[in-house]
Amino acid sequence: MSSTPRLTVTGLKKSFGSNSVLHGIDLAFEPGQFIGLMGPNGAGKSTLIKILAGLYSADEGTIKLDDETVRNLGSRRECGFIHQDLGLIEDMSICENLRLGQQPMKLVGPILNLKREREAAAEAIARVGLDRDVDTPVSALSPGEKTLVAVARTLDRGARILFVDEATSTLPAADSRRLTDALRRTVDDGATVIMVSHKLSEILDDTDRVVVILDGEISTDEPTASLDREGLVERLVAKESEMAVEGEADACEIGEELIALEAACGGRAGPVDLVLRGGEITGLTGLPGSGLHDIGFLVHGSMRPVSGRVRASRKIRRALVPPHRETQGGIPVSSIRENLTLSSLPRWRGFGRLLALGQEGRDAQGMADELNVVPGDAEGPYGVLSGGNKQKVIFGRVLLKEPQVYVLCEPTRGVDIATRMEIYRLIRKLRSKDVAVLVISSDSEDLFSVCDRIGVVDDGTVEELVPAEEMNTQQLEALV
Amino acid sequence: MSSVTAGKVAASGPSALKRFATSPTMQGSLTTIAFLLLFVGYWIWLGDTFVNVDARLLDVHQNAPILILGLAVMVTLIAGQFDLSVGGMCTLTTFLSIGLVVQKDWAFWMVLVACVLAGLIGGLINGLLVVKLGVNTFIATLGTGGVFLGISSVLFGGTQLAPTDTSPQLPSWFSGDGSLGSFGEKFPSVIVWIGLAACAYGLFRWIQARKPEGRTDTSWTVISAAIVVVLAAILFALNLPAWVDGVSLTIGVLLIIGLVLWVVLRYTTYGRYLYATGANPEAARLAGVKTDRETILAFVIGGLLAALAGVILAANQGAASPDIGTGFLLPAFAAAFLGTVIMSTGRFHVWGTLIGGTFLVWVTQGLIVGGVPFTWTDVINGVVLVAAVAVSTIFRRRA
Ligand SMILES: Nc1ncnc2c1ncn2[C@@H]1O[C@H](COP(=O)(O)OP(=O)(O)O)[C@@H](O)[C@H]1O
Ligand SMILES: [Mg+2]
Repeated sequence: MSSTPRLTVTGLKKSFGSNSVLHGIDLAFEPGQFIGLMGPNGAGKSTLIKILAGLYSADEGTIKLDDETVRNLGSRRECGFIHQDLGLIEDMSICENLRLGQQPMKLVGPILNLKREREAAAEAIARVGLDRDVDTPVSALSPGEKTLVAVARTLDRGARILFVDEATSTLPAADSRRLTDALRRTVDDGATVIMVSHKLSEILDDTDRVVVILDGEISTDEPTASLDREGLVERLVAKESEMAVEGEADACEIGEELIALEAACGGRAGPVDLVLRGGEITGLTGLPGSGLHDIGFLVHGSMRPVSGRVRASRKIRRALVPPHRETQGGIPVSSIRENLTLSSLPRWRGFGRLLALGQEGRDAQGMADELNVVPGDAEGPYGVLSGGNKQKVIFGRVLLKEPQVYVLCEPTRGVDIATRMEIYRLIRKLRSKDVAVLVISSDSEDLFSVCDRIGVVDDGTVEELVPAEEMNTQQLEALV
Repeated sequence: MSSVTAGKVAASGPSALKRFATSPTMQGSLTTIAFLLLFVGYWIWLGDTFVNVDARLLDVHQNAPILILGLAVMVTLIAGQFDLSVGGMCTLTTFLSIGLVVQKDWAFWMVLVACVLAGLIGGLINGLLVVKLGVNTFIATLGTGGVFLGISSVLFGGTQLAPTDTSPQLPSWFSGDGSLGSFGEKFPSVIVWIGLAACAYGLFRWIQARKPEGRTDTSWTVISAAIVVVLAAILFALNLPAWVDGVSLTIGVLLIIGLVLWVVLRYTTYGRYLYATGANPEAARLAGVKTDRETILAFVIGGLLAALAGVILAANQGAASPDIGTGFLLPAFAAAFLGTVIMSTGRFHVWGTLIGGTFLVWVTQGLIVGGVPFTWTDVINGVVLVAAVAVSTIFRRRA
C-alpha cells in the first residue's frame, strides 16, 4: 500500500458573484487522521471540498500534496471524494460498479477475467465490512450499504485521502455506525479521512480532530479529545440564544379531529389507523423501507389509498415537507421567491386574476427574512442554497400556505444544529387548537423535541401511540 | 449579518470587472452580444444590402409562422415535454384555411373556427396520450404529427391547393394584396411606439432594482435613466422609426400572440405551475401543483399556436402544398432553445424565442445575401443553434 501524502491548503478564497464564501482557509492534514469538518449550513464546507475536487476553481490559494503544488485533487489517484450523490449506477451490480473506470482485468485479448474481477470486488467490500454477494445490483442495497460500496470503490482505486461530504445525514443510526467504523479502519491503516457531518455524537466518538468553519474562516481546529459535547456546541453556534431551549409550550387545548386514516393502505404503508386532531403534534418513526414516508403521503393526500379510507373534509388545507429534499423538495432553476410561494400562489391573484408580482415578492422576502435564509435575497436562485437553507425555504412554503394539517417528513435531515433548534421552535409555534402536525422522522431527537405522542411504524403499520413523556430514547430505539 | 459579508466582499472579493463579467445579467446577454457583433460584421461585409430595414422586416414577416411554431414548442418544452407534431398541425390548418374555402365553399368564420378546434383537439389528444396513457412524448407526438399531416392529404387530395378563377375566393382581408398576409399592409405604428415606451420603462425599473452596494438611490436612478436614454439614442441612430413603420400586420399579430403568451406565463398561476412542472414534476406535485392538468394544457396551447401558425402561413402564401411545413421543426426548436440563452440563463421564454428565431433567420439571410446558396439554410440553422448554445454553456460553466 502506498503511503499517504500530507495535504496542505493555504489561503484558499472563493466568492460566488458578490457572495464571498471562503475568505482564506489554511489547513494541513497529516496522514492517519480522522478529521470531522463541521459548521453551519452555508458555511462553505461543500464548497471547500468541491474546490479540492476541482469542481469549482478557487479565486486564490494553493493546494499542496507533500511538497508538490497541484491545481486540484480531482484527478489524483490518491484522493477520493464521496459526495452526497454517491455516483453509483443503480442497475449495475456491486462488482460492475467497482470495476467502472478501472483497468479491466483481462483473460485473453479483450475477454474479461470475470472471476478475478469478482474476487477483487469481494475483497474490496470486505475491507469496508460489507458482506454481500458482489453480483447483487446496487439498487437492492440499503442506503447505508450503498455508501459502503462507494467507499470501497474509492479505496479500491487507491485513494489514501478520503473526503466524505454529509454521507451520514440521510442514513439511519445503525448504517451511520457501519460507515464510520469502516472509515475508522482505513484511518488505522494510515489513510486520511475528512468527514463532514452535523451529528455531534458521530464527530465526538469517532474523529481525532475537529475543524469548524464559521463565516468562511476556520474558527476551531482542535483535537477531538479536548472537546466535550457542550464545548463543541459552543464552538458551532455563534450566539448562545440560538441554542436556548424554550420552556414547555403552553399546554394546548385539543381540538376536533381533522384527518383520520382508517385501515388505509398505499405504497408500502398500511393498513394504518391514525387520527390527527387539532392542537396535537404527532410523531412517527421507523426504519427506512417500513413505509414510514408513505403514511405521510397518505395523510397529505398526494398518495391515494389503494384500500381503506383517508377521512378528511374537502376544505382542509394540507401541506407537506417531503422527505427527500433534493428530488422532491424544491424547483432548482427557480428563484427562492418562486419556491416559497408555489403552494399558495392564488393568494396573490389581483386584477384580472393576474399575479401581483410586487406584493408576492414582498411577502416572500418577509418569509425569507423571518426564517433567516442565507443568502437572503428572495430573488436569488434556490438551486445553489446549502441544504439547511433549502430546508428553510421548503418550510417557508408550507408556512405560507397556512394549512390546518402539516405533514413534516424528515424536517431536520442534513441541517446544522442551530437550524435544527430553529426548526424545532418553528414546529412548536405551530401548535394551536385548529392545527394538527404530523412529524415523520427517522431521527428520534426530532420526535422527543417537538412531539406530544410518538408511534413506531413497523412493516407499514403504526403500533399504538405513546405520550412522549412516557418514553426515552433508549426505549424508542429498542422498538425501532 | 449581510452587511458584514458585504464589507468583506469589498475587501477581499474578486475585482469588480470579474464580478460584472460573471454576473447572471452579463451571462444572459453574452449570446445576444455575440449575435450583434456578428451583424456588425455583416454590415461591414455587405453594407446596405444587409442593413436594410425593409428586407430584414420582410424576413420576420415571412418567417412569422415558424416563430409562432417556436412559441408552440416552447410551451411544451417548459412543461418538460417535446411536441414534434406542430409541423403536421401547421400544415393541416394551412390546408383547412385554403381547402375548406376553395373546395368546400365554407363561410370563412367557420373555417377559422375549424382551424382553432383542430389545434385544440390535436393538442388535447397529444396531452392525453402523454399524460394519461403514459406514451413517450417523442413517440406520441411523432405519431400524431404524421396523422395530422395525413389528414390534410386525405381531405384535400394531397396536392398543391390554391384558389382558381372559377373557385370560391379567400376573403380579401385575409390573403392577397392589401390583406393580413401581405407585407405592404402595416400595423398601426402608434401601438408599436406605446409598446416600445413600455419596454423602455420596464428596462428602467429593472436596472433601478439592481442597485449595487454603495450607491445612493438618487444617483442610481439617474444612472438607470441615463442607460435607457443612451440605448434609445443608439436605436434611433439605427433608424428606429423606419423599423416601427415597417411592422406589417402579420408581424403585429405575431407580437400580440407573444404578448398574450408572455402575460400568461409570467402573470398567471398557470404559468408559474408550468415552469415548476417542467423543472421538477415530483416536487411540484407534492407542493400541490396539478401537474397532469398543467401538462395537458401545455399541449393544448401548443396545438392552438401551431394551428394559428398554419392560418398565418395560409394568409402569407394564399396557397397550400403538402410539403409546406416540412423543415419547420428544426428552426422552431432552434428558436426555442436559442431563447434559453438570450436575456436568460437557461429558461425558456417568449421574447428569447422570438428574438432567437429572428436572429437565426438573419444570420442565414446575411450569408445568402453574401452569396451562399439558399440550399445551405438548414446547415446554417443547425450550426448556429449548436454553436450558440454550446458557447454560452461553456461560459456559464467556467464561472
Ligand atoms: N454554484 C454556486 N453558485 C452560487 N452560490 C453558491 C454555489 N454553491 C454554493 N454557493 C453558496 O455558497 C455558500 C456555501 O455553500 P456550501 O459550501 O454548500 O455550504 P455547506 O457548508 O452547507 O456545505 C452558500 O451560501 C451557497 O449559497
Ligand atoms: Mg454541504
